[in-house]
Amino acid sequence: MERQEIIDGLIEVLKTVRTIDPEKLNNVTEETDFLTDLNTPSTELINIAAKVEQKFDVEFEDDDIDNLGSKVKDIVDLIIRAKEREA
Amino acid sequence: MADTLVGDNPADWLLLYGPKKRYVDNYHWHSPQAGVVASYTPTEFDVQDHFDIFRGVDQIESFAQATVVSMGGFLECQKSGLSQQEMAELFVPAFISIGNVNFRYYLEKGQTFINIGFITFYKFRQMACEGRIYKVPQGLDLDAYFKDFTIERLKAYDLNEEFILIAELFEITGRGLKKEKFNTQA
Repeated sequence: MERQEIIDGLIEVLKTVRTIDPEKLNNVTEETDFLTDLNTPSTELINIAAKVEQKFDVEFEDDDIDNLGSKVKDIVDLIIRAKEREA
Repeated sequence: MADTLVGDNPADWLLLYGPKKRYVDNYHWHSPQAGVVASYTPTEFDVQDHFDIFRGVDQIESFAQATVVSMGGFLECQKSGLSQQEMAELFVPAFISIGNVNFRYYLEKGQTFINIGFITFYKFRQMACEGRIYKVPQGLDLDAYFKDFTIERLKAYDLNEEFILIAELFEITGRGLKKEKFNTQA
């Protein structure tokens, strides 16, 4: 799965998050920061991670989430790692 | 490890709290994947410097200890096989967010209340609960009253009319943070 494909899928997930302004999703890149660029409450990151698991059919460990950074690239990396772990 | 919290000493599940700031006395009903009913009776110390009324913020704290902390800790111990003591050495229960809270009535020293809460989200050591606080009719045997309680009755707040609604709480969210992360971010 290509990184851009993952970002596109991630944006679909983010569109369902009521605390994120949809207009801010127009220019999402790997460097976009959930906390500072999208103003996502930290509590919401866990909900996003749970939705991402469903969207991409992967399973994250608690430790994955403990160590997760706040940028889009961090969650893209995590999805790839989780996919490789399950392969 | 027992199947539920009922009969356990709250001090064993709230090791990092108290004794002065532990606001759960007993668990009366618990379904691990669903919810809990737990009681507390405010003491003289609890109402000091607050016109003899148990503070609203302490009600929220009591609800969080009864639900997110106790139930979250229980599920984590069940999942990991760790004891409560081992869990307390590794994780700190942290408040993440609080949704709406509506206060309907007040509680005085010696007035027993129940936290009745159910899980709305649980993943990655983060739990969100919602529920209510009710003042308990005087002299009621809570263990006997909730002996045959069910998840359906819990979610419907199906209680005897003599219970007085004190507060409604939404999206009370907490997470078990690794201690080393908690300390470095402080």
